[in-house]
Amino acid sequence: MEKFDVVIVGAGLAGLAAAYTLAKDGIEALVIERGDYPGAKNVTGGRLYLNPVRQYFPADFWDNAPFERPVTTEIVTMMTQENAASMRFQALEFNNPPYQSYSVQRSKFDRWFGNQAAGAGAMLVSKSRVDDLIWENGKVAGVIAGGEELGANVVLACDGVLSLVAEKAKLREPGKPEDFAVGFKEIIELPEKTIEDRFNLLPGQGAAQLFMGSLTQGRFGGGFLYTNKTSLSLGMVVSIRDLMEKQPPIEAPVLLEEFKQRPEVAALIGDGELAEYSAHVIPEAGYKGIGRLYGDGILFAGDAAGLSLNIGLTVRGMEFAIASGVLAARAIKQAFDRNDYSAASLSVYQQLLQNSFVLKDMQTFKEAPHVLDNPRFFTYYPELMGNILKDLYSFGQEPKEGLVRTVRNRLSFSDITGILKDAWGGRKI
Amino acid sequence: MNIIACVKQVFDLQQVRIKKETREPIMENIPLTIGDIDKNALEEGVRLIEQHGGKVTVVSAGSEDLEETIKEGLAMGADEAVLVIDSSLDSAESAVSAVVLAKTVKKIGEFDLILLGEGSSDNYSGQVGPRMAEILDLPLVSFVKSLKVDGHRIQAVRSLDDCMEVVEVDMPAIVMVMSEINEARIPAVTQILKAGRKPKQVLSLDEIEVDPAEMETKVETLSNLAPEQDRKQVIFKEDADTAAADLFNALQSEGFIGR
Amino acid sequence: MSRSISLKEKLGFNVFKHSAESHIRIIPGAEKNERLKLAVYVCPAGLYSLNENGDVTVTVDGCLECGTCRIACGPEILDWYYPDGGTGVQFRFG
Ligand SMILES: Cc1cc2nc3c(=O)[nH]c(=O)nc-3n(C[C@H](O)[C@H](O)[C@H](O)COP(=O)(O)OP(=O)(O)OC[C@H]3O[C@@H](n4cnc5c(N)ncnc54)[C@H](O)[C@@H]3O)c2cc1C
Ligand code: SF4
Repeated sequence: MEKFDVVIVGAGLAGLAAAYTLAKDGIEALVIERGDYPGAKNVTGGRLYLNPVRQYFPADFWDNAPFERPVTTEIVTMMTQENAASMRFQALEFNNPPYQSYSVQRSKFDRWFGNQAAGAGAMLVSKSRVDDLIWENGKVAGVIAGGEELGANVVLACDGVLSLVAEKAKLREPGKPEDFAVGFKEIIELPEKTIEDRFNLLPGQGAAQLFMGSLTQGRFGGGFLYTNKTSLSLGMVVSIRDLMEKQPPIEAPVLLEEFKQRPEVAALIGDGELAEYSAHVIPEAGYKGIGRLYGDGILFAGDAAGLSLNIGLTVRGMEFAIASGVLAARAIKQAFDRNDYSAASLSVYQQLLQNSFVLKDMQTFKEAPHVLDNPRFFTYYPELMGNILKDLYSFGQEPKEGLVRTVRNRLSFSDITGILKDAWGGRKI
Repeated sequence: MNIIACVKQVFDLQQVRIKKETREPIMENIPLTIGDIDKNALEEGVRLIEQHGGKVTVVSAGSEDLEETIKEGLAMGADEAVLVIDSSLDSAESAVSAVVLAKTVKKIGEFDLILLGEGSSDNYSGQVGPRMAEILDLPLVSFVKSLKVDGHRIQAVRSLDDCMEVVEVDMPAIVMVMSEINEARIPAVTQILKAGRKPKQVLSLDEIEVDPAEMETKVETLSNLAPEQDRKQVIFKEDADTAAADLFNALQSEGFIGR
Repeated sequence: MSRSISLKEKLGFNVFKHSAESHIRIIPGAEKNERLKLAVYVCPAGLYSLNENGDVTVTVDGCLECGTCRIACGPEILDWYYPDGGTGVQFRFG
């Protein structure tokens, strides 16, 4: 049996960040990826917050990264059945580099990242699937891929949200619908200039638009739209449990079609050409969803460890994947220097995560999934907002009421107590 | 036995998209790979060696990326690679490829059998084998769906339009295989890793002594566009019986169904 | 059914590499399971359907390998694994 220092399962962002870091430290890392190339199986909404992870890489590392557009404009749209209210936010500091976030497309981005890791000396093998772990004396001692045994001092599982490798090894339970959402999206191609005109952008700059309200028909979730260079990423993220249980039932793809047909959305994507339709599960349980981080001879990073945060309007998983990959590599380096790959030796990984933004942010937003899992956020507030704005902007034959009255007409006493309750819950996020 | 398998680096055609307005193929960012039937040719070579002993040399001509692409062939079981690398070879026409490959084979010298795919995944001209046979003055067996080696003789079953033909030829010879001859293996991880360390000889056009006149292109590409897809947008909405009859009539009047 | 036609067309824009084996199998005996019936609603590719006998069937051609049905139904109902390396969907954008 061939033996390696480290075998990494999966060439997603976590796996590649780890491979790059290990290679730079002179540790032999073999990355095994089931897709034709890194990114071939990976889906994201679109936005990578770069600032939190800049520190882990050389200053010029990202200079040639295939980013789509820096996000300089934020738009939030609340939808009801009848209307939509949008808020557009631009800060002058968003307009200049270093940009805090970029839209990305995984198939391009992960391929580029894979080349960086290989260039640094990591071994990258695509088109190969890891089927199982090898155990020796109760400790993980390698993987089985394509029927072949590959030994390793330590295995780093970066195999994404389902982490079937961990499940097969009984290191984690199969996921439950309440802890996951499904994201599904379309890539819609449009000329560069059209995108900039429609979103009111300076050349090369980008927008992120998030949608909440009636589009999910009472299900926990929302819609997103990111501008790429010559396309839009338009999609939805919806709770799997709610898709299963909420009445009346509706098929996920129908939700997306109806969302696209809304005039507010149709105007943005009009004349665009569909180029791809993709989908992927997203961990949504937040802090309590964090799985096992390490064991004897094994570590978990990225979505495979449940390190992803859905705070209602944004899913943050990519920078968590990159950072946890780097920190796992650092923990492995320490274990390598001690020549001890036991759970106790690898436990330094947890400390590294705790000292980083990864576990700190997961902790800060600990209550987010629970607080946000409140139908009022998806139906009541968008409706309230829509109704008030409608009253304000509608001009009929009657004399118009003042602002305070307009708002008061729409709010009863019990509404106000409900809002206060939600606000009290919301202080935790 | 010394076997040479000639393979071609091609774009992964499934990844190519068509620009709607111009019908031009979009070639940016398309991964490169070894042609499908070429893999069957190489696979056949590796299987023969596994039975009879010897060595398989994979030969290819192409642009710089070839060194990376050829790893897949080495991982499948070729013992070594001989590559001719030149940017002009990227989209070389069949006549040029045949000259370059024939000269490379001459340079290698020792061989019993040259294997090729019946056609490349991109052009599928089917000309490289016959042209090489002419240049090298070797017997050629094409459309081969199964192959046996017995001493210095090969027995091949040719799959023709209306019959199977069994032929026997003395080696050295050139054999062009069809995809049904075998199922190309998916290399194991360790084979992929070892592939990078297998012997690889990279030659220039000068080194194989190609005369510039032989590189002259004789084929001019007039256009390379996807076929026009013109939808008539006719929808038959009546009940199934009427709709079926109407559909039949429409197809018939368009000349798609015989009278 | 205009929905399934447009969904099929949508899937037609993706690259799928053929796999010899089907990577999703309904565990025999579970065809009428109530939880399995919900796969019809969760699958973004619309690959699950209910036939006249009340059995749920699945086609894997067009599977986006998202894992939603696996999470919704669990391993007691679905035998679900990734397709072989180098097969299945290959995203060009993601
Ligand atoms: C629709 C959607 C929108 C999102 N939006 C955002 C966003 O805007 N911003 C953000 O930061 N995050 C977002 N996320 C989350 C983010 O995409 C993920 O958190 C991130 O991709 C996780 O990276 P990873 O490296 O852990 O896993 P992945 O990217 O899933 O990588 C796992 C890799 O492992 C490989 N693999 C799996 N099993 C095996 C095996 N057995 N053998 C070999 N290889 C294997 C896979 O092919 C894959 O390459 C979104 C997710 C979705 C689905
Ligand atoms: S994995 Fe996703 S696309 Fe494939 S069948 Fe299941 S739900 Fe549908």
